[in-house]
Amino acid sequence: MSQPSLAPYVLKRPWLMRWAKPLSKWYFDAAAYRKLGLRSDDLIPEESEIMQRAMKRLTPKESYDRVFRMRRAFQCSLAHQLLPKEEWTKPEEDIRYLSPIIAELEAEVTERQGLEAMVINKPNTKR
Amino acid sequence: MLSRSALGRHTQRAVRRSWQQQNRGLAAPASGSFAYEAGDAQGIKFASRDIPGPVASLAIVAKAGTRYQAFPGLTEALQLYAFKNTERRSTLRIQRESELLGSALQTYHSRENLVVGAKFLRDDLPYFVELLAEVAQQTKYAPHVLHEEIYPIMKLNQQALLANTTAMAQNSAFGLAFHRGLGESINASSSLPISKYVDAESVADFAASAYAKPSFAIVGNGVAQGELNKWVGEFFTDIPSQPAYKLESQQSKYFGGEERISHGSGNSMVIAFPGSSSPTGSSYKPEASVLAALLGGPSSIKWSAGSSRLLQATEAAPGLKIQTKSDIFSDAGLLSITLSGSANDVAKNAKPVVDIIKAIASGISNEDLAKAKALAKFKELEYGQSTQAAMELTGAGLVQGGKAYQIDEVGKAVDSVTAEKVQQLAKEALENKASVSAVGDLYVLPYAEEIGLRV
Repeated sequence: MSQPSLAPYVLKRPWLMRWAKPLSKWYFDAAAYRKLGLRSDDLIPEESEIMQRAMKRLTPKESYDRVFRMRRAFQCSLAHQLLPKEEWTKPEEDIRYLSPIIAELEAEVTERQGLEAMVINKPNTKR
Repeated sequence: MLSRSALGRHTQRAVRRSWQQQNRGLAAPASGSFAYEAGDAQGIKFASRDIPGPVASLAIVAKAGTRYQAFPGLTEALQLYAFKNTERRSTLRIQRESELLGSALQTYHSRENLVVGAKFLRDDLPYFVELLAEVAQQTKYAPHVLHEEIYPIMKLNQQALLANTTAMAQNSAFGLAFHRGLGESINASSSLPISKYVDAESVADFAASAYAKPSFAIVGNGVAQGELNKWVGEFFTDIPSQPAYKLESQQSKYFGGEERISHGSGNSMVIAFPGSSSPTGSSYKPEASVLAALLGGPSSIKWSAGSSRLLQATEAAPGLKIQTKSDIFSDAGLLSITLSGSANDVAKNAKPVVDIIKAIASGISNEDLAKAKALAKFKELEYGQSTQAAMELTGAGLVQGGKAYQIDEVGKAVDSVTAEKVQQLAKEALENKASVSAVGDLYVLPYAEEIGLRV
């Protein structure tokens, strides 16, 4: 669910960051989801078990806002329109509210698989 | 050739060794003691007894039972939060690791205490001290844990309580006897709107109070004092010295009264009188346990009523379950008789029960007293010897009075009970207001006044 990302790699290198920033700006503009008032985490497909569980862990306010943004975007899409410019999602509003929860859930699953596949070796000597 | 310095070292060692041998008394056992040794590690109270055996147990006993909870349901929620996700480990990892080491994690609460502990193999002590420290200091009180794991269990507990007439009657009797504080229901009753009172923040606040230095003690069985001291000092480093808010409950006062609850499945009746506080408390009356033993509960002999007065009186109704219990708390106690069975059995036998108390108030034979004392002593000692009960009593004694519960003293106290004291207790019980609670078919179950009690 959580997409692979180069961001941490880039963030660590200022020279790369200077070079990549205009590119990312252009990309976000071209992707246009902010012009529909959405956030990047709204674009994660919902049809998976982890995503379903993650959405249940949102606070009621976050959950409500998410549905509101989606309905608004859907309406815009039907009308073949973009939102007025002042209602676009600002870059600082575009926070990742869902990804940390997904990462947590994925870590849980990985941990369970790890523990399930574990081979236990008893130490020969008494500790 | 031996160098001078090497020789010096050997001599020093030899001297030290001989001194150590002298220091150890001849009669001192190598290991194993039945009394608790209390200690203090950076303000954290702990007690341990080094009973021999391969299995040890360790528990945090916090003054956070239903009596001290700020809102209904908090104690239960905090109990269920134990061994859940911490900053360092997940719920699953805690469970699997403790399973692999071979251990049992246990949590439960009573009216006064919350007990979070583990039973494990002796060698694994450091791991479990660390685990308990993690539970106390680093549990994440996340809302989703509450929604996904804790509310569902609390709801099931509510339903279990609703179906259990005996538990309902006992809770109701405690409520009648002590109103708030001790009278608080031990499990959330089915009509309690849990989410109104219990949320992640209120539980986190309660935890910060329950796991603060003045509110809990660590009790170990089969654990050496020195080792426990060392590990507690090493792992319990972030415990706040003051609770987030003070866990308070006013001095218990006995009220008494009558409550009747209509119920479709099962019939129970609880008749309760003021009893004794715990040995570490202020109003300790060992005669309460003797009176309880004299009245008797389930027989300790098969196929016979034994010497129990209540069982002898109700022999005509073998389907009736009858039990006398002397519940002790830090500053008060309740002596309760529980009858449960078919409505007719309960109704018919409630009066004879009261008549027996009246008979005891007017006189008891020496033989009966001797039997009851022996039984009471056995029960107390057996109860205190079982690690679980002893741990809770010791922890509570340490937190509330700074004294550990010593089993030998309890035995002596029971020995000193006289017939007059028992009669006096029975007489007082009848003269004062009783707490009578009936749950079940109210058309058949009698009122307190009908069976000759004052409420």
